[in-house]
Amino acid sequence: MIGANRIVRGPAITHPFGVDEAERRRIVERALELLETDVEPNTVWEVAE
Amino acid sequence: MKAVHYVNQFFAGLGGEDKAETPPARLGGAVGPGRGLAGELGEVEIVATLACGDDYFAEHEEEALATLLGYLEQESPDVFIAGPAFGSGRYGYACGTLVAAAAERGIPSVAAMHPENPGVDTAGKAYVVPTAVNVAGMRDALPRVARLATALAQGRDLGTASDEGYLPRGFRRNYFAEKTGAERAVDLLIAKLGGETRTEVGGGLDRVEPPAAVPDLSETLVALVTEGGCVPQGNPDRLPSVRAKGWLRYELDGAETLSAARYESVHGGFDVTLANEDPNRLVPLDTARALEREGRIGRVHETFYTTTGNGTPVVASTRFGREIAGELREAGVGAVLLSGT
Repeated sequence: MIGANRIVRGPAITHPFGVDEAERRRIVERALELLETDVEPNTVWEVAE
Repeated sequence: MKAVHYVNQFFAGLGGEDKAETPPARLGGAVGPGRGLAGELGEVEIVATLACGDDYFAEHEEEALATLLGYLEQESPDVFIAGPAFGSGRYGYACGTLVAAAAERGIPSVAAMHPENPGVDTAGKAYVVPTAVNVAGMRDALPRVARLATALAQGRDLGTASDEGYLPRGFRRNYFAEKTGAERAVDLLIAKLGGETRTEVGGGLDRVEPPAAVPDLSETLVALVTEGGCVPQGNPDRLPSVRAKGWLRYELDGAETLSAARYESVHGGFDVTLANEDPNRLVPLDTARALEREGRIGRVHETFYTTTGNGTPVVASTRFGREIAGELREAGVGAVLLSGT
């Protein structure tokens, strides 16, 4: 996690942004929320199903 | 038991910066901080001190090294000690280079310097005792250097870096532990709950201060970056599947999606079947474009960046990050979506 302070947990190594568009949308929107949030180092957010 | 000690021109009492061009010299017995070191070494005697000007060593390294190693080998010491160099870069470099060369020749060797001294990286298989950044740390450093040097002179098998007081060298050794991993993990957790953080595996990682939150994504240029090895079909620029030595950039030219007909992943570290069926699973261009149309983000940067994060040394990936970030900053990018696999 060198230098990575805003991390959204993806579903899998093979498809970090999800399998379908709906899942991808949830992940990217979660990432955008995290970008708009002040964080402590190495903050990891989950994505709601 | 015999020790040889290396110091620079200043600690040898030869002069300051005005004497930094002093060629290698051999002095008898302990000199300068070596006298304090001798007092801590006990049964190990400093039989000679080698000295060299910091500039001379840096500018005539091959010659200086050969001369100093020649002096060292003549003494046949049981241990070679260099420094402490504290935060002095040239001195630390000389110390690290010398102990590495001595260790290669089978002479147990230890240097002492601040952990961030560039000389640490030159010490090779030799040991480095961490010190304060300046000479105010001399009194603290000498006993610790002496302890390790004595152990080396005695030929004692050394324990872990944290037990013996040297900087980790990155070597892993197997040993039979008294407690199982589960028991040791519980011990670490209990210690942490009690306020003491310990680890069996050193991090050695950078800590980067998080940038402030993006104030308004609707006005922000957002870039897409991946270490998933996403490249145009056929991998025209030959991005390696493993141990990439660089990164690539490709223009999106307004594309709304990364089509499977035009892009693929060449990453050698995972099954790329799903990524190749739909490259947006690695680089979410389709979603980013939708958000751009909706005004959720300002614009999608028309250049995406890619590399293969598979077996990539930390040093290389750190360089990639800096280089890519430099271009993104130049382009006015305010936020990045980076996919890691």
